[in-house]
Amino acid sequence: MIEFKNVSKVYNGGVKAIDNVNFKVENGEFVILIGPSGCGKTTLLRMVNQLEDISEGDIILNNTSVKQSNKIEMRRKIGYVIQSNGLFPNMTIEKNVMIVPDLLGWDRKKQQDRFNYLMELIGLHPDEYRKRYPHELSGGQQQRVGVARALAADPPVMLMDEPFGALDPIIRTKLQEEFLQIQKEVNKTILFVSHDIDEAVKMGDKVALLRGGKMMQYDYPSEILHHPANDFVSEFVGQDRVLKSTSLYSVKDLVDEVSLDSYHEADSAQPVNEDTSLRIVISKLLNQEADQLVVEDKQGNKKGKLTLELVEKFLHKEVKETPNR
Amino acid sequence: MQTIIDFFNYFSNNYSQILEYTVEHVQLVGLAIIISILIGVPLGIYLTTNEDLAGTVLQISSIMMTIPSIALFGIMIPILSTIGQGIGFLPALIALVLYSQLPIIRNTYTGINNVDPNIRDAAKGLGMTTMQRLLKVEIPNAMPLIMAGIRTATVLNIGIGAIAAYIGAGGLGSLINQGISRSNNTMVLVGAVVVSILAILVDYLLKYIEKRFTPKGIKN
Ligand SMILES: Nc1ncnc2c1ncn2[C@@H]1O[C@H](COP(=O)(O)OP(=O)(O)O)[C@@H](O)[C@H]1O
Ligand SMILES: [Mg+2]
Repeated sequence: MIEFKNVSKVYNGGVKAIDNVNFKVENGEFVILIGPSGCGKTTLLRMVNQLEDISEGDIILNNTSVKQSNKIEMRRKIGYVIQSNGLFPNMTIEKNVMIVPDLLGWDRKKQQDRFNYLMELIGLHPDEYRKRYPHELSGGQQQRVGVARALAADPPVMLMDEPFGALDPIIRTKLQEEFLQIQKEVNKTILFVSHDIDEAVKMGDKVALLRGGKMMQYDYPSEILHHPANDFVSEFVGQDRVLKSTSLYSVKDLVDEVSLDSYHEADSAQPVNEDTSLRIVISKLLNQEADQLVVEDKQGNKKGKLTLELVEKFLHKEVKETPNR
Repeated sequence: MQTIIDFFNYFSNNYSQILEYTVEHVQLVGLAIIISILIGVPLGIYLTTNEDLAGTVLQISSIMMTIPSIALFGIMIPILSTIGQGIGFLPALIALVLYSQLPIIRNTYTGINNVDPNIRDAAKGLGMTTMQRLLKVEIPNAMPLIMAGIRTATVLNIGIGAIAAYIGAGGLGSLINQGISRSNNTMVLVGAVVVSILAILVDYLLKYIEKRFTPKGIKN
């Protein structure tokens, strides 16, 4: 657990980068720090692993004040990923990934097993990449290796500063999805900086929105989108916020809330499965070719018909209610 | 034509003497460079942590470079005479060490300072100690520049080392020195050519060593 208690940061020269921030990241939670450039995201993140001093207040990491911890030992228990990957050009991929286990004195066998596991996890063939150097990899591959390196000693906490920010949109989307899969397996407590609201909504269990060093809103993505705390939040998430929120829901969520229209064999309708995001559903429905869709479960049983009216009904329910999830 | 014939005649008649001078020369320069590395590299690294001192030290060492070698030898004679070492090997060694400092300190300092701040940040964030960062990340990545500085200093020292013969330090400068006082142009020429060849060979050798010492991942 990471708990920020009245945290402020004043840089030399008087810039107040963080202004009395309070929030908690629970164990296993994936929290996105978001806000405009210069709002203090990086500063806040770097105070956790003490790459920056805390001017006022404290950060409690797993029941210990980070100020009181031994910095070197603490950092080895925190995975750290940065935008420009920060891989060491002089080391092979294996040496890079195994840097923290090496510092911790793991034996050769344990390191090798861990390397193989991590490379499989990030989708790179261990033997093919073991002896390569960072410059021999693409940007996306380097960033994956950066993630593997951060995970190497199995730290309970991960700090990630715009890890996919420098990648082109297609690769970025791919890595986001891969990382969500990885998180399902490793279940870390993650603080992840982003400036992209779509990324935040898609990835985060919760979103912390900063502005000028102050916390504007800390809540579930659906709440940020449906119930912005103030005009700034509302403007930041964009006027299309309800549309954005549709990627938070799957067909299954809708089926749980509203009942589908009944389906007759004679109806012409495209099939969708229950895991499809509502955003895709809307897009399909707006497409000329299909004004209705038929929902199929995993076995291919047709459960009923889905129309724009039903999506609208569902969204109205979600937007109006304040669910305490 | 006659010059060339004289050159080779002199060379073959005085083969062992030339070799002896060459060995002396290499010993002087070699020892000077080893001492220079032991002083310059740690100093260059230390200066990256002390910006104010860095400016001063780099300035002093560039002023050092502008002092003509003959003047430097001259200055050292009275100083070292107090311990009975006014001329000979010791003053020559000290002068060469002083001349080597600028290229070695400056290149080490620049090399370490130029290591990508993101890489340094990652090293810190992953929990490396200052020493681990230096040994595992900063020095390896600064290696090409550090080695270039050592190479410059060595070639420079081979040249300046020839002048050290004037204060009785021996080496290939003795050929030039004696040649001038005896008006023997051939001797001067042999001395100059051997010094040049030595400089070129050593430069190649150091380039090879540089290649071996540069981590594979940072060659281009
Ligand atoms: N080392 C520093 N010294 C002084 N000011 C800094 C330093 N780092 C960041 N700042 C300032 O602190 C503020 C927040 O910066 P940062 O945390 O990097 O923002 P973000 O990551 O949200 O873009 C900015 O105004 C920035 O100029
Ligand atoms: Mg930032």
